Amino acid sequence: MVEYWNKIVWPMLEGAQMTVLLFFIAIIVSIPLGFLLTLAVKSSFKPLSWLAHGYITIMRGTPLLLQLLLICFGLPMVPIIGEYLVFDRFVAACIGFILNYAAYFAEIFRGGLLAIDKGQYEAAQVLGLSKWQTTTRVILPQMFRVALPAVSNESITLIKDTALLYAVAVPELLHFAQTAVNRDFTIVPYFIAGIIYLIMTLILTLLFKRLERRYKFE
Amino acid sequence: MTLIQVSNLKKSFGTNEVLKQISFSMDKNEVIAMIGPSGSGKSTLLRSLINLEQIDGGSIQIDNEYLVKDGIYVKADDIKRVTGKMGMVFQHFNLFPHLTVKQNLEMAPKLLNIQAAQEIENHAKDLLEKVGLTEKSGSYPSSLSGGQKQRVAIARALMLNPDILLFDEPTSALDPELTGEVLKVMKDLAEESMTMIVVTHEMGFAREVADRVVFMDGGEIVETNNPQEFFSNPQHDRTKLFLQKNLK
Repeated sequence: MVEYWNKIVWPMLEGAQMTVLLFFIAIIVSIPLGFLLTLAVKSSFKPLSWLAHGYITIMRGTPLLLQLLLICFGLPMVPIIGEYLVFDRFVAACIGFILNYAAYFAEIFRGGLLAIDKGQYEAAQVLGLSKWQTTTRVILPQMFRVALPAVSNESITLIKDTALLYAVAVPELLHFAQTAVNRDFTIVPYFIAGIIYLIMTLILTLLFKRLERRYKFE
Repeated sequence: MTLIQVSNLKKSFGTNEVLKQISFSMDKNEVIAMIGPSGSGKSTLLRSLINLEQIDGGSIQIDNEYLVKDGIYVKADDIKRVTGKMGMVFQHFNLFPHLTVKQNLEMAPKLLNIQAAQEIENHAKDLLEKVGLTEKSGSYPSSLSGGQKQRVAIARALMLNPDILLFDEPTSALDPELTGEVLKVMKDLAEESMTMIVVTHEMGFAREVADRVVFMDGGEIVETNNPQEFFSNPQHDRTKLFLQKNLK
């Protein structure tokens, strides 16, 4: 029994490493990228704003799975340049997640900006702050605070979305669970996988709860 | 000595003309109470002085320097310098919610590098004592009452040593029992000869503290007089009507 346990749990935990790695790469890159997109959307240079809007509309309006399939299997089929667009599966998946999640984070941050009262800008102006000082000292800290619950939510979704790696054949948690299910004709690995996902999302939830408490400003 | 000189100021929001050829001037150490029905343009006029509203025509001079001359604004740097002579207190306080009371006071002077850090901290301490909020130094605005918030806002405006302090309905967002503590701070400032323009609905304050009452209606200054004359012997029908409604 213990032996069987070892046989399926260890590969799954190894798969979970892949999940965690993808999570960190995606979140570390897509949050700043999302923020840049927010700035682009808010830009007074209209073509940039339209471009960013279009990008967000497409990325949010189509399934992540479709985007992943396109990057992993579609891009190499593009005539002429296709051969330069063959990525390692994991790298391709990272790109897909980053591009997709950046669009979501951009919308979250935009919402955070909208929540900031116009009086904050006025107060900063009459106190003689420059535009840059107003942005970095007054607006951004409040924007991130307002966005925190939504960022938390999106991060938890990201953990679960990593299961989509299964579809592009990157060996992650779900992949090892499915292998064990097929091989041993038992549903136990599904439950183990579920528990591992649950542990990861719980840790994340607690982490964000702490952040929210810390930045409660009360 | 004239500190503010406004002539033929015009301002419209779309087709709605909110300020029609306003002219007035104000001396150093004077306290003006600006009253009038809502929509009369008094807040817009106040906000124009500190460049929170762009005017469409006329001139504004602060301390003998132009902010706008015949409808043309001076250069950005000069705008900043001229408006920097004024401080502003808002109806909704506009404190920075992510900063403590102390940080709210110290941020601007520190960023603008107007004094050494130690001096700024001492100044903040003095001002908090003055508005009676020494013990709230480390609190965030969300834990303060409206009256306390407005007193912090006044202290924050004073941190930059303005020559003129503008108040835009400073007690209108407060529960009636909290207006007293804010008006007291303003009264103290008036006694220290601070130059102030106060847009207000507080007739008591206008009567007791102001040197001059300016009554606005429909985008015009209808009547201006010292408080005694203004309240006991109003000249215009519009003033009489307004006072009838507001003095009970």
